[in-house]
Amino acid sequence: MNGSDAALAPARRIVRRGLALSLLGLVGLAGVYVLALGFTPIEARQGLAQKIFYLHVPAAWNALLAFSLVGLASILYLWLHDPRLDRFAAASANAGVAFSAVMLTTGPIWAKPIWGTWWTWDARLTLTLFLFFLFVGYLALRAAVHDPSERARFSAVVGILGMLLVPFIHLSVYLFRTLHPQPIVLKPSAPSLPPEMLRTLLISFTVFTVLYLGFVMTRYGLMLAEELQEEARDAG
Amino acid sequence: MPDAIRFALAIAAKDIRAELRSKTALLSALVFAALVLVVFNFARDPTVLAASDLAPSVLWVTFALAAIVALNRAFNVERENGALDGLLLAPVSREALFLGKLLANLAFVGTVELVTLPLFTLFFNVSLGRALPGVLAVTALATIGFVAVGTIFSAMAVRTRFAELMLPVLLLPFMVPPLIGAVQVTSRLLAARPLSEMWGWLRLLAVYDIVFVTLCVLTFSAVVDE
Amino acid sequence: MLAEPPRNGEYLIAAYVVATLILVGYWMRLWQKARKVFSGPD
Repeated sequence: MNGSDAALAPARRIVRRGLALSLLGLVGLAGVYVLALGFTPIEARQGLAQKIFYLHVPAAWNALLAFSLVGLASILYLWLHDPRLDRFAAASANAGVAFSAVMLTTGPIWAKPIWGTWWTWDARLTLTLFLFFLFVGYLALRAAVHDPSERARFSAVVGILGMLLVPFIHLSVYLFRTLHPQPIVLKPSAPSLPPEMLRTLLISFTVFTVLYLGFVMTRYGLMLAEELQEEARDAG
Repeated sequence: MPDAIRFALAIAAKDIRAELRSKTALLSALVFAALVLVVFNFARDPTVLAASDLAPSVLWVTFALAAIVALNRAFNVERENGALDGLLLAPVSREALFLGKLLANLAFVGTVELVTLPLFTLFFNVSLGRALPGVLAVTALATIGFVAVGTIFSAMAVRTRFAELMLPVLLLPFMVPPLIGAVQVTSRLLAARPLSEMWGWLRLLAVYDIVFVTLCVLTFSAVVDE
Repeated sequence: MLAEPPRNGEYLIAAYVVATLILVGYWMRLWQKARKVFSGPD
């Protein structure tokens, strides 16, 4: 289908750049591993497991960022009706699931040696879980609606409602815990980080942001390509 | 403004009348609620867990599940009749349409809750006594919140292939803050705790209701209009 | 006075391995999808 090849060119460009950017991110990730494991001091009270922090916290930030951008894009879409906003929201949600998965796995693996239990209903882990559920619900809805305009509108509504749910979850957990204080053996993040740890953390944040951008760009490009192919098929 | 309210009430009245005639949503939800209560009773060990400790959670989980059943049935019946499309052709504000649907759904879910409550006190040997007005109030407060979100989500879910699955998947995260608040307040009411201990939760419930009812009213047209 | 840090290296390894699998796996899914979309039979 040579005709559609040319039509797909802009999408192909975006996907190529996205894949390259995320590959760069993965290389950076390897660098972060080396940095965290070999060149950052071991935390005295928590031991080696504390280094999970350098992956978990940036992943959490990315998931929250991805989610907020879905919410923002949703509001803008309902206002401007630009399909690019809808595509971006879907791409961000898709990438967000990956980072939520990293959060949800590294979180308990970190909690077990530090707090003695795989799961606690503290603010961070609980929010993690809810973000994951909201992402999954969002993507499930998109998969279940076929008409593109309907899909964009419905997703936008869920995106906005979901974004506003987050502060209520946070508040509920906060109220719950102040009334039911649970013993905490160690706080996972020290109030003031020694400079080498801060440096590693900041570098990790940068790498994770690059990964997010690369993932979103690639997803966006793939969605665009599929839409263009659909159009070519309908026209041809 | 009064026009919109009159219209909303008319929509609600029509839906309620239709449901009273067929009774499918109400009956399914009521039977379901009764079954859930029975299962909870057999699922706990009375020598280990006193009924009063578990009671508020059992009550609210039952309410939540029954509400989902009721919401699903209510919109399904409407889809089968194609009534929504007819309504949309009328020159009516979408906000009023949503309020009408919301009122009707509140009537359904409220009825299920009102019937479940005495069943609950019966099965679990809980005496409501002086806590009754408080329990009714918190029930109303929490229900408004999740039925509002449930109404807009069921309007969406009904247009998807797996509607019965889509609604709970979307709705359950949104039911959590009202549920937590309701359970906390109910358990304190049953233990005759002072109002000061519930105030934070009641405020949470109230703010949740205001925020989400407003949001749903504003976004409903995005769901039903092209 | 300073105690030895706790020995919990296996958790560290588990977390890093899982995170790598998820992120690299996600990249590979994107790459495979790209190959399918841009050169699949039409």
